[in-house]
Amino acid sequence: MGPIVCATRGGEAGRRTQERAIALAKERGAELVFLCVFDPSLAGQLNDALGAAVEMEQQWLGRALLGTAQARAQKEAVGTNAVVLIGPVLETIEGFLRQVDASALIIGEPKTSSALAAFHPGKVHHFAERVRQNTGVDVLVVSPEE
Amino acid sequence: MNRFLTAESVVVVLVLVTTLVAIIARRRRLPYTVTLVVIGLLIAIPTSLELEATPDLILAIFVPPLVFEAAFHLDLRQLRENLTPILLLAVPGVLLTTLLVGGMTALGAGMAFGTAVVFGALIAATDPVAVVSLFRALGVPRQLALTVEGESLFNDGTAIVVFRIAVAAALTGVFEPLTGLTDFLRIALGGIGVGLVLGWITAQLVARLEDRLTVTSLTTILAFGSYVAAEYFHVSGVLAVVVAGLLCGNVGMAGASPSTKIMIFNLWEYLAFLANSLVFLLIGLSVDLTLLWDNLGAMVVAVVAVVGSRAIVVYGFSWLARLWGKTSRIPSSWRHVLFWGGLRGAISLALVLSLPVAMPARRELQAMTFGVVLFTLLAQGTTIQLLLERLGLTERSPQWVARETRLGRLFATQAGLRRLEQMHRDGMLPDEMWAGLREGYRQDQQQVVQEIKQLFHEHAELEGEMLFQARREALKAERGALWDALRRNILSDPVYERLSTDIDHRLEALDLIYSATHERPSVGEEG
Repeated sequence: MGPIVCATRGGEAGRRTQERAIALAKERGAELVFLCVFDPSLAGQLNDALGAAVEMEQQWLGRALLGTAQARAQKEAVGTNAVVLIGPVLETIEGFLRQVDASALIIGEPKTSSALAAFHPGKVHHFAERVRQNTGVDVLVVSPEE
Repeated sequence: MNRFLTAESVVVVLVLVTTLVAIIARRRRLPYTVTLVVIGLLIAIPTSLELEATPDLILAIFVPPLVFEAAFHLDLRQLRENLTPILLLAVPGVLLTTLLVGGMTALGAGMAFGTAVVFGALIAATDPVAVVSLFRALGVPRQLALTVEGESLFNDGTAIVVFRIAVAAALTGVFEPLTGLTDFLRIALGGIGVGLVLGWITAQLVARLEDRLTVTSLTTILAFGSYVAAEYFHVSGVLAVVVAGLLCGNVGMAGASPSTKIMIFNLWEYLAFLANSLVFLLIGLSVDLTLLWDNLGAMVVAVVAVVGSRAIVVYGFSWLARLWGKTSRIPSSWRHVLFWGGLRGAISLALVLSLPVAMPARRELQAMTFGVVLFTLLAQGTTIQLLLERLGLTERSPQWVARETRLGRLFATQAGLRRLEQMHRDGMLPDEMWAGLREGYRQDQQQVVQEIKQLFHEHAELEGEMLFQARREALKAERGALWDALRRNILSDPVYERLSTDIDHRLEALDLIYSATHERPSVGEEG
């Protein structure tokens, strides 16, 4: 069975999404991969030195965030890997799922909506459907009620 | 004592008074600028101060530090994003304010229209120092803070140009609208041109020089030099300083070393503080209580005119800004903040102090300006926080405050424990007492740690905040360690510069990521 991938980058839904992923990996006895994707558009708008610093800092924050998630999984005796990637968020997640031949993707649905959010409550389900169709991977959306 | 020593003594005494007031205001938690004015008034009871300096000299001394510091710190990239609303408020907004305030005070206070327009111009410049520091403390949206700061910077320039034209018209009794308009354009564009040339040259020099003392001197020459050069060509000195400061701060400082940046920022922060303090103290010293009492009616009219015209300008131009497109739109909650946050301060006071003695109703104008500045500081400055909270513009949610409160308790408990440990080590605390006290403190500490853990569990978004805060603290500690190593000669200058520049870039990057993820949440925010 391919690994379960949990796409996370902190925020309001981060913790419950990670906990749900840990529980599922434990239940299925599957490998769990925490994935954090940062959009490169921010670094692209800046000069070379600052753009490079933004990318390095995104990598650093991603590693720190996923390190926290891994520590949580370790407490539950679940083995994990952590991957930080920089790229267009939706496409990069799809590419990664194909690369590792994932069995499931877990993402979180936020409590509040934002017009500018890539994954506001309406869009997260749309994205989940798109991933299912494009990759054949099962997608679990963790709702605020869980 | 010769004239020079007398003048020097006066300056020393003035700086001493501002410093003492700063100490008292901080300890007693009093509004600093208001305290300065009150102290000035009290000192002036026996005899009020009649400034001997020429109007031009007053502006040349006080305006460059006040304006240059603000321009130097403003991010040009972010400024461009909000340029339309800023320019609308700062250029036509100031012209309309001048006319509205002029008209209302002429009617309400029975003042000659020409003189009332001078008042309209000098009071048109907003001074958001107090508001902006509050914005930072409360975590108000960055773009709103930038609009307020940007408007203030550019309306200083516009207001001073209009003020000069209005004073000339009031003194000569002659005003040709067409000539006035062409004069306005010539003075404003000329000032911008001088600022562009001198700012660009200095930015190129600053970017190439490494010696921090030379670079700091260059910024001083630029701030005062661009003002003097522009005035020499009879164009706007203040706009020259604004443009020069923006260019030097954004282009010139981009590659400057951290130690140079620290030195320059500290110097300009101090000079702006000094100029601001002296202006407030001088207005207190120049105005006597009898004058205020005699002009109470005119002061009330002035306050009503200023607040009323601010409402018309802000709401009117915000409506107009919508026509420029989506990016120029000012959200309705921001309009209320722009309206009520339009405080008046140092520039208006410096302008009224600079009025020539021959100016009709000069003392009355001083009293009116004093009244407006005092009202905006006391009434608007003290209630703006309430307005921000009512409008939901503060990012400090109840859980954020709860986390901060618990962190505060944790720091305090740890400090208490460290002190007890030291007392025990020094033999002041017997073993048994130390054991008992330590246990009490440890229990408190565990209790707070547990509460923080619970809070993070209930409000997961706090974890993200904590990650940014922790990283910021760690980077600052890294920079502090490098500075320490430099002082102990463990690191050489070039290595220190390289490493600390890297950390500065990381800190700047962290702020950019924070702003981007908080204003434009994407996958990670939700997941």
